[in-house]
Amino acid sequence: MGSDAIEATSSSRQQKSPVALTPETESRVQAIGEAEILVGIPSYNNADTIGHVVQAVSAGLAKYFPGRRAVLVNSDGGSSDGTPEAVSRAVVDFSALLVSDHQSALQKIITPYHGIPGKGSAFRTVFEIARRLKAKACAVVDSDLRSITPEWIELLLRPVLDEKYDYVAPYYLRHKYDGTITNSIVYPLTRALYGHRVRQPIGGDFGFSGRLTEHYLDQHVWESDVARFGIDIWMTTEAIASGARVCQSFLGAKIHNPKDPASDLAAMLMQVLGAVFALMEEHDRVWLNRKESMPMKLFGFQYEVGVEPVNVNVERMIAAFQLGLEDLAPIWEQILGREIVAELLPLRTAPHAEFRIADELWVRVVYEAAMAYHARVLPREHLLKALTPLYLGRTATFVLETQGLTTAEAEGRIEQLCRVYESRKSYLVERWHGGPQA
Amino acid sequence: MKDVFDKALLAPLEYLGGQVLAVLPNVLAMGIIVGVGLVAAWTLGHAVERLLRVMRLDELCNRLGVNAALARGGVKTDPSRIVGRTAYWMVVAFAVIAGLGALNLQPINRFAQSFLAYIPHALTGGVILVAGYLLSNFISQGVLIAAVNAGLPPARLIANMARWGVQLFALAMALEELGIAQSVVIVGFGITFGGVVFATCLAFGLGAKDLAKDYLERTLSNRPRDRAPDDLRHL
Repeated sequence: MGSDAIEATSSSRQQKSPVALTPETESRVQAIGEAEILVGIPSYNNADTIGHVVQAVSAGLAKYFPGRRAVLVNSDGGSSDGTPEAVSRAVVDFSALLVSDHQSALQKIITPYHGIPGKGSAFRTVFEIARRLKAKACAVVDSDLRSITPEWIELLLRPVLDEKYDYVAPYYLRHKYDGTITNSIVYPLTRALYGHRVRQPIGGDFGFSGRLTEHYLDQHVWESDVARFGIDIWMTTEAIASGARVCQSFLGAKIHNPKDPASDLAAMLMQVLGAVFALMEEHDRVWLNRKESMPMKLFGFQYEVGVEPVNVNVERMIAAFQLGLEDLAPIWEQILGREIVAELLPLRTAPHAEFRIADELWVRVVYEAAMAYHARVLPREHLLKALTPLYLGRTATFVLETQGLTTAEAEGRIEQLCRVYESRKSYLVERWHGGPQA
Repeated sequence: MKDVFDKALLAPLEYLGGQVLAVLPNVLAMGIIVGVGLVAAWTLGHAVERLLRVMRLDELCNRLGVNAALARGGVKTDPSRIVGRTAYWMVVAFAVIAGLGALNLQPINRFAQSFLAYIPHALTGGVILVAGYLLSNFISQGVLIAAVNAGLPPARLIANMARWGVQLFALAMALEELGIAQSVVIVGFGITFGGVVFATCLAFGLGAKDLAKDYLERTLSNRPRDRAPDDLRHL
């Protein structure tokens, strides 16, 4: 599969009308004409951190792509804290970075985006500018990053420019308890379904080709939930499903502004799982026939790095699961079936040290939930939110199982879970179109 | 003697015969209308039932929890049959009223007019009750899931209160539509609903004043939580 293989998928009702840009942005784009590289930074009230991100991007472009025409686009959602001003103010002292042959001034476009508020709409504007400038390689990075370095820009763009990849997913070093939705659901499920081992499918920082940008813009999803959230998993899945060449780049640790960890987990889970399950429906013709997974090429020099410690309250998670089992069992029976709920029931009184949701049972839970979502057995928002205690129970299991393990050893446990997802995929495939029940 | 016989016996019989002959066409018309109505009712009832089965109404009702609610109320018939039988009896009722109207008797005509005028209210009341029931199920399920995810132990109690609140509201609206004891319903509903809200506020204020204080302080001053339960990052 090469770059030429990016194809219209079953869902791609072509939407050729251009995205509206502000008159100022239109004239900036016309003045610039064409560019080889484009880096997009979506933002909303990130004045504290975006300056550092812009500096890292500028330094990366100057250091690694000195002879190429490059444009930085900040797509802002109406910040009130001076984020656009911070972007325009941010400059780099190239001499301090020992960059001798830096390019002339980096072109910056600072633009508001139109449409539904959200990261997806911000990306759409970035994609549209990339299309008009005929950019060959693009990258997007989060605006709240504290650990971004100039090397990230090379690692996200070089595989596209020199190796002809279409999509570069990030590969971060993370604490074993960092990214638990990714580790227990999104990565193993995406890998089992589509056969590509993309370790961080919802990483947030990506590189992609101009051709893939066109493909993204032509999808009819920009008025849906993708415009608000779920853009990260959508980009990864759409790239894989369209047959694009996908690789990964090692970026080291990802440190970004802390979000309140107790902010609504149910809403977060609903957004992520809703996007994953919706994409399963969209691309079932792609994944129903894929049997095995293959490793993805990983660019970049790999090294060990100290990661931020993560405090975990296992008792709270188990209590949340047990409360769910007490009150939501009838709803879970509708979603998962009586057999699975009966297997969960002994956990109601299990001592904390012995609390476990086994890999095999967890995989069936996820597959049954996906099928229930597909069959609309409940209102979808209720269905997805009702899974929150189950997810917390599984996370508690993972924490208990990996307490004494290093991050690398815990990665081995995730690999084991992935293999169960893959070995049980036939269970999902048989039942997806209303096949035999367990 | 013959005069007496004519006046005392034949005249009333003649009068009665005349009356019967005058009414007989109307009675015949009534019989035909009722007969045709019964056939139409049977046909329509079966057609509606079959159509709803083809449209998988029973499966939809099963998902919405309607079948379970009917079973709880001792009704073992499936929704398609209930709707089919309802259509049957409605047509029968119309046919009987139309048939009685054919007799052209004043009291029956007045009853038929009142009955026909009441039907839109009865239908509206029925729709309100059904919609209220479905809405109460949806809301109580959402409240139950939200309460469990918020870690509130009396989640089921909260969800049941939400369910009964919506059903009470729907019942009050339906009774008002039907014109049954309107003032009593409005006053009764106002007192009950106001009482529930007041009791909830009182309970929250007394039992969870620290929680309310913390919430308001965090909301108004954008202060983060003093101590997060853990700093697990899920994505």
